[in-house]
Amino acid sequence: MHSDKIKNFLQKKRQAEQSGGEEKIVSQHEKGKLTARERIDLLLDEGSFTEIDALVTHHYYEFDMQNKKFFGDGVVTGYGTINGRKVFLFAYDFTVLGGTLSEMGAKKITKVMEHATRVGCPIIGIIDSGGARIQEGILSLDGFASIFYHNQLASGVVPQITCSIGPSAGGAVYSPAMTDFVIMVDKLATMFVTGPEVVKTVLGEEVSFDELGGAMSHGKISGVSHFVAKNEYQCMDIVKTLLSYIPQNSTEEPSIVDTGDDPNRLDNNLITIVPENPLQPYDMKEIIHSIVDNHQFFEIHELFASNVIVGFGRLHGRTVGIVANQPMVLAGALDIDSSNKAARFVRFCDCYNIPIVTLVDTPGYMPGTQQEHGGIIRHGSKLLYAYCEATVPKITIIIGKAYGGAYIAMGSKNLGTDMNFAWPTAQIAVLGSEAAVRIMNRKEIETAKDPAALKKQLVDNFTEKFANPYVAASYGTIDTVIDPAETRPAIIRALESLANKRERRIPRKHGNINL
Amino acid sequence: MIEKILIANRGEIAIRVIKTCNALGIKSVAVYSDEDVNSKHVKMASESYHIGPPAPSQSYLNMEKIVEAALNSGADAIHPGYGFLSENADFADLCEKKKLNFIGPSGKSMRLCGDKMLCKDAMAKAKVPTVPGSPGIVEEVEKALDIAHNIGYPVLLKSVFGGGGRGIRLVHDEKELKQAFELASGESKAAFGKSALFVEKFLPKIRHIEFQLARDKHGNAVHIFERECSIQRRHQKLIEMSPSPVVDQKTRDEIGQLAVNAAIAVDYHNAGTAEFLRLDDGTFYFIEINARLQVEHPVTELVSGLDLVKLQIDIANGKEMPFKQKDLKVNGCAIECRINAEDTFLDFAPSTGRIYDVNIPSGPGVRVDTYLYPGCSVSPYYDSLMAKLITWGQNFEEARQRMQISLADFYIEGVETSIPLYRTILDTKEFISGDLSTDFLERFKILDILRDNLKKEASQKSDVALAATLIHSEFLKTRVRAHKEQSLRWKAQLDRN
Amino acid sequence: MKFKLENTDETLDGAIVKSLGNNEFVVKIRNHERNLKLLDMNHQKIEFMLDNSFHTAKYIESSTSKITLVVDGVKLTFNKRPDMDKIVYKNSGMESAIDSQINLKSQIPGRVVSINVSQGDSIKKGDVVCVLESMKMQVSIKSHKDGVVRSLKIKQGASVAKNDVLAEIE
Repeated sequence: MHSDKIKNFLQKKRQAEQSGGEEKIVSQHEKGKLTARERIDLLLDEGSFTEIDALVTHHYYEFDMQNKKFFGDGVVTGYGTINGRKVFLFAYDFTVLGGTLSEMGAKKITKVMEHATRVGCPIIGIIDSGGARIQEGILSLDGFASIFYHNQLASGVVPQITCSIGPSAGGAVYSPAMTDFVIMVDKLATMFVTGPEVVKTVLGEEVSFDELGGAMSHGKISGVSHFVAKNEYQCMDIVKTLLSYIPQNSTEEPSIVDTGDDPNRLDNNLITIVPENPLQPYDMKEIIHSIVDNHQFFEIHELFASNVIVGFGRLHGRTVGIVANQPMVLAGALDIDSSNKAARFVRFCDCYNIPIVTLVDTPGYMPGTQQEHGGIIRHGSKLLYAYCEATVPKITIIIGKAYGGAYIAMGSKNLGTDMNFAWPTAQIAVLGSEAAVRIMNRKEIETAKDPAALKKQLVDNFTEKFANPYVAASYGTIDTVIDPAETRPAIIRALESLANKRERRIPRKHGNINL
Repeated sequence: MIEKILIANRGEIAIRVIKTCNALGIKSVAVYSDEDVNSKHVKMASESYHIGPPAPSQSYLNMEKIVEAALNSGADAIHPGYGFLSENADFADLCEKKKLNFIGPSGKSMRLCGDKMLCKDAMAKAKVPTVPGSPGIVEEVEKALDIAHNIGYPVLLKSVFGGGGRGIRLVHDEKELKQAFELASGESKAAFGKSALFVEKFLPKIRHIEFQLARDKHGNAVHIFERECSIQRRHQKLIEMSPSPVVDQKTRDEIGQLAVNAAIAVDYHNAGTAEFLRLDDGTFYFIEINARLQVEHPVTELVSGLDLVKLQIDIANGKEMPFKQKDLKVNGCAIECRINAEDTFLDFAPSTGRIYDVNIPSGPGVRVDTYLYPGCSVSPYYDSLMAKLITWGQNFEEARQRMQISLADFYIEGVETSIPLYRTILDTKEFISGDLSTDFLERFKILDILRDNLKKEASQKSDVALAATLIHSEFLKTRVRAHKEQSLRWKAQLDRN
Repeated sequence: MKFKLENTDETLDGAIVKSLGNNEFVVKIRNHERNLKLLDMNHQKIEFMLDNSFHTAKYIESSTSKITLVVDGVKLTFNKRPDMDKIVYKNSGMESAIDSQINLKSQIPGRVVSINVSQGDSIKKGDVVCVLESMKMQVSIKSHKDGVVRSLKIKQGASVAKNDVLAEIE
């Protein structure tokens, strides 16, 4: 029955699956890149992918385009599951007209984004595109704009993750930038607003694709990329791991996983990680690893602004977002990049009901004209704003130094933090002892008989009186001074006490965070 | 008579001693560090005392702490086990001073045995043949290079205070000797508190054969047969057996007598072991006397029918041994495999962690001495020996087959073990025919055979593994508990503010 | 789905045909349909019946491209995407147990007894980078490749855990 019609249907279906044709697929493989459908196959659970708009074609006729029609029109869209979680995705198909974006392609992408936003599921985008389809001119640009619009509509509603596994240039790069997380695959992905050829023409500067906008450049220098994947397999692994820590949408909390790690586990080694000499650096990650379940810490933005550490861990099976200073880099001082990195992460956690745990050991902000003229005042305020704005449970532990403005910025009590702990090694003060004495007692030291001895005495006095957590504890700014060995159980108990936290704010359209 | 024994040790040997205490109605006192709070030996003893932080120097090597625990508990004797303080003459003296019966030889004879140079001298006087090497301690690496050059490479760099294979390094040339001198020095200091090295010629294709000794305070001295311990790695024993395939009764009598003479020469009391090397041509060289009960003592227990720990306690009580040399006869054959927590392919690097599950083999002629139980931990602070698997048979082949079956049944989950290595060794025709030597692993390329065997095994299990892989995602779903009221909340959500 | 047994040339075909509910499935392995019943699951382990025989499996590591498990005491690894491996690894190295890239990782936990190289040194594969003490043994950690020591991540006396990065060697 209807055998002709069935035959016709199957033929079209097969052709759609061929994307740009056998030759183009081989060429893609030769470059060491997988096709869009292969990537989707790697990412989603076996057999879970449902494609939509497979038979969409463009309707353009200028520049002889009517003879270059392909099913799908350069983008594969649909939905499926990842480890059982429903997700929506779109993947640019490089084998069709270089993966360039057309009016219809943009329509496909925004359709799937809107669908995801309506049902509350994460959106994953795989970018491998030559950019705007020049032939379609303004239709292509408008297409990008509508994608950006939907990025904003979805922002803070459902998590959006971008996998950059190929080129992405011009305006196209702004969509990934608006998503929550960007993963770039080393040596395959590039992102820049203006390519090397134009750079050379306009500025005379010679730079390679990879150096200008490759994965390492964006992972280390610009911070555009949150993850640098070694290859496409690792890229997919990162997506899957990331999704396991976050909820489906902003009304949910992340799933609880049975990690098997004892919530009452003590660690007597923690106190040995912090050196006696406060000037000596140590690796904050050792402390983080000890606290989280099964020593598993999923670091985000690892290569960028490494003076601050952000990432996800689990405590007694529940996801927490961790923000911590890294004393090993720039002595743990805060600066422009680290303020941006931490602020964005805090706001993401707040969007998605993820409690924030902050570990503090910072001597203050980086001084100098580069920072001041770079706008550390503006950028630093973002972190303060983010902490104040967040209504998820917030817990801070002061491990070592916490001086001045940086003490305030790293989740201090009056920013709305729920629980503030401190180790006996904490030193909470406006300034370090030396600096404080130099300012407060300058006259006495100058006029003293033995300036060095007097200075030492004053410094020692100051240290004993103020460079400790007890003054703060006496005012209740620190809720408890804890035995470092008990850090993990203390945080877990605090989290349990904050389980159903609710905070009211005066309604407004949105705040005006200093950008 | 001894009524309460404090065991200055941990792990399987502590459990071993407690078992004999229980059999004799003697109370046992265990000591433990922070690391061993949940250990089996602590749970089994009549009383337990905490003696310090995990590091051995602050706990199991801390003489004052241990003696304090003994006095507090009212113990009248101390059993040192093996390793730790078992061959520490100062400790034996301290026990004597505090009127604690030290179950072992005196501090004086320990000093003599522990100082390999002094020992060599004593043996020379007793006409017991010893291995050619440096006449004394070598303090500088240049002197070591000199001697090595004269004796000829390869040579062994040994620590005078070594034991249990520690402080021994095999070097093939000058470069290796220089590197090894540093390392051996450090290792010796770490384990025994001091470093003093000497050089010995390395003899290839040798068998390590030792004799169990016992001497009471009434002048009776016997040997309780030999043990062959040739299969080793890094000069530590892996597999031991009794009797040795190359020792007939005549040799046993002859060398056994030499061993007994050695014991008398150093005025040794209680149980100990005389170690020999046997060259391919049958020549025996005396190496040293180990002034303690050895790890591999079960092998002798199974072929003699004796409880050696009981013998030790009896001797310490001043009793006379109830048998003479002619009464002792070898019965059957016993083999022991030391089950270590090690990764064979990573150069035997230690593997530590929590043991989630254990299955201990049993059956006719099967014995397991171990501290393992599901949920225990293998600690990085102490050595890697987790269990001793010993089988007995009426002959070598029966013991070997029982060992194979038991190894296959022995399941330890949580760390890498040496079990696959033993299964490979026990199947080789060289092992079956008794062609053993201390370079067994290298000579017969055992590691390569093991690699092939593992590949074959994996291939055989591939179907089942594939089935497990297919349902992996199903398994993952059970690990996740989503929050309730999820979709309801989404639908009910109107406006955040 | 096709799977390749790592370190061999053996490939197998397998798929879940259907779920019968109650943790029972029909699976197809090498074109034979077989019955699989999940009996018990905890933490990382499962026990199941495949047709009439009992088995255990423990999942050690699972990623997009590989899965390592211990089945009835035997450890093995499958490459899940043998066909894609060639393409994906064109621009990047194979992931191997010993990271072939910059990081020299520790295979064991231990304490740093000595550091035998300095930043900037040229070293060869097999040269001793540092010595760790673990279980009363001193283990020398050797370089996995020729190169220059870009940085040392350890201090004398520090404790390292398994898989910690000890040094970066370019």
